[in-house]
Amino acid sequence: MEKEERNILEVKHLEKHYGSVKAVDDISFRVKEGELFAFLGLNGAGKSTTINIVAGITPKDKGTVLIDGVSIDENSAETKSKIGIVFQNTCLDKQLSVRDNLTLKAALYGIKGKEFEERLRELSDLLDLNDLLDKTLGKLSGGQRRRIDIARALLHKPKILILDEPTTGLDPQTRIMVWSCLDKLRAARKVTVFLTTHYMEEAANADFVVILDSGHIVADDLPNNLKNKYAHDFLKIYDKSESLIRILKEEKMTFEETDDFVRVELKNVEAGKDFLLKHPDLFKDFELLKGTMDEVFLNVTGKELKGGSENE
Amino acid sequence: MNKNLSDLFFLVRRNIKMYFKDKSVFLISLITPAILLVLFVTFLKSVYTNLLINFIPQGAEVSSRLTDGFVAGWLVSSILATSCVTIAFCSNTIIISDKSSGAVNDILVAPVKRTVLSFSYLVSNLIVTLMVSLACLGLGFVYMAIVGWYLSLEDVTMILLNALLLTVFGSSFATLIEHFISSMGVGTALTTLVSSMYGFVCGAYMPISQFAEGIQNVLKFLPGTYGTIVFRYYFTRGAVEQLGAVLPTEAMPELKSNFDTEIDFFGSRVSNGTCFAIVGAASLLLLTAFFLVVLVNEKKEKSLRSKTK
Repeated sequence: MEKEERNILEVKHLEKHYGSVKAVDDISFRVKEGELFAFLGLNGAGKSTTINIVAGITPKDKGTVLIDGVSIDENSAETKSKIGIVFQNTCLDKQLSVRDNLTLKAALYGIKGKEFEERLRELSDLLDLNDLLDKTLGKLSGGQRRRIDIARALLHKPKILILDEPTTGLDPQTRIMVWSCLDKLRAARKVTVFLTTHYMEEAANADFVVILDSGHIVADDLPNNLKNKYAHDFLKIYDKSESLIRILKEEKMTFEETDDFVRVELKNVEAGKDFLLKHPDLFKDFELLKGTMDEVFLNVTGKELKGGSENE
Repeated sequence: MNKNLSDLFFLVRRNIKMYFKDKSVFLISLITPAILLVLFVTFLKSVYTNLLINFIPQGAEVSSRLTDGFVAGWLVSSILATSCVTIAFCSNTIIISDKSSGAVNDILVAPVKRTVLSFSYLVSNLIVTLMVSLACLGLGFVYMAIVGWYLSLEDVTMILLNALLLTVFGSSFATLIEHFISSMGVGTALTTLVSSMYGFVCGAYMPISQFAEGIQNVLKFLPGTYGTIVFRYYFTRGAVEQLGAVLPTEAMPELKSNFDTEIDFFGSRVSNGTCFAIVGAASLLLLTAFFLVVLVNEKKEKSLRSKTK
């Protein structure tokens, strides 16, 4: 996808303290228009605090936040109109119908009457909401509620869609459904998506990743660059033989044996290619695998992410 | 329409819908009137009927419709005196639940002023409390029409005026207090406390004249007491006038005092006009305090923004 280089969100030297706890400690980053930007970190890393500051809910202690070039301190009404946010847990009114929820939230952006009906029709078609509109929100499934949350966030055609751990707590099938909605949305509207997550596979699909740990940015780059910098590529060889093990030992390569295959750690893809060309007879059945975001996260923070829980 | 007014309108509409859709909140807010009704049906009706009959000289002819009408007026005045305040506290828990559920964040990410959101809770609470209290009043009028109606048009007008004033008092009091609460546990404890206590402290469950003198003196410093007295006066005035034709003149002051249809403040009788003024002044004071709290919060937020620019 061709992307414009304009920054839609710029955060400079942002700080937020809660007493002696530094929730966000001097972080700076930018989100380019149209990209899928991922904020990766454990619970308590400062992801939600940053989002709440950007959205104008939580006041910051220091720093600058510019949305489409406008400071949130200068004109919060304008900057709020450019943001759509999907909170980690749905914040809509569970006692009211989907239509009532969306009518109220649209009205707060000045969208009423025919304009609202038109908007609702567009979103209903995009997110498949037609059968849900007259149902009570509290009676919907987790996946259906997520779609309503996304519709609410898009009511006013924001320039940035912020998703705070949108798939946490959802079953795998619903997660796939939510991502299919988001992919459809990005394809149709080219909306900028700012995602916070602790799911590595979600971060791996982003255009740009920032890894946050204890309020600090510890790494930021394209996912591929992060993998190149912080993770090893692997060669997975299924033809286990004594000669293979001997050669690996001779060449002082790091490897791991399992019942089915040998997993050889590579410095980079080039090293893998050289090894394959040097010993073509040894390889009949093999895979060249890129390093994972899990490994990047582990190497950068020293902590392991397993479904959002921390394992050091 | 001005953006702030439009936001206020939609938020008030949302808050009112939430109250009537949330059956638990709706039912909890009706607990105090329900307790009064149960107390009345089980024993208060006979207690107050007997108390009234004790004032009637032997041989005097008083119809049971007149005594029932008087006691019914007393009951409905009790329900109104409490519901205008307790319903205000119970129905305003949305101000707390919005904070604990995060709904307030979803509202504030939109270009809505925090002050508009705060005022929306006050206005919706006022409307909801008035709606439910007037519904209770309507049912009370129907009951009184069945057992004995002695109200004049002036009485009904003054009752409505007092209901409005006491609702403003209850709503501003509830909104001011609940503005500072963010935990549903604390909110529930508060509403339970208010629901069970207010009936006693405003003299709804039993006449203030039945309390020990020290407690009576304390209650005279609470503005809600004067709202109850006004209700008592106008709900029973017609029946009291008819009783005056039968009862000895010297018994009337004691009857009025025993049933709280008038009150004295350390020896001086407090007029109905003064009672209205006390409740009105207390409401104005609470409203002013609420406006100040909201405006100070907004000012604080603005100064924080300008400091961190």
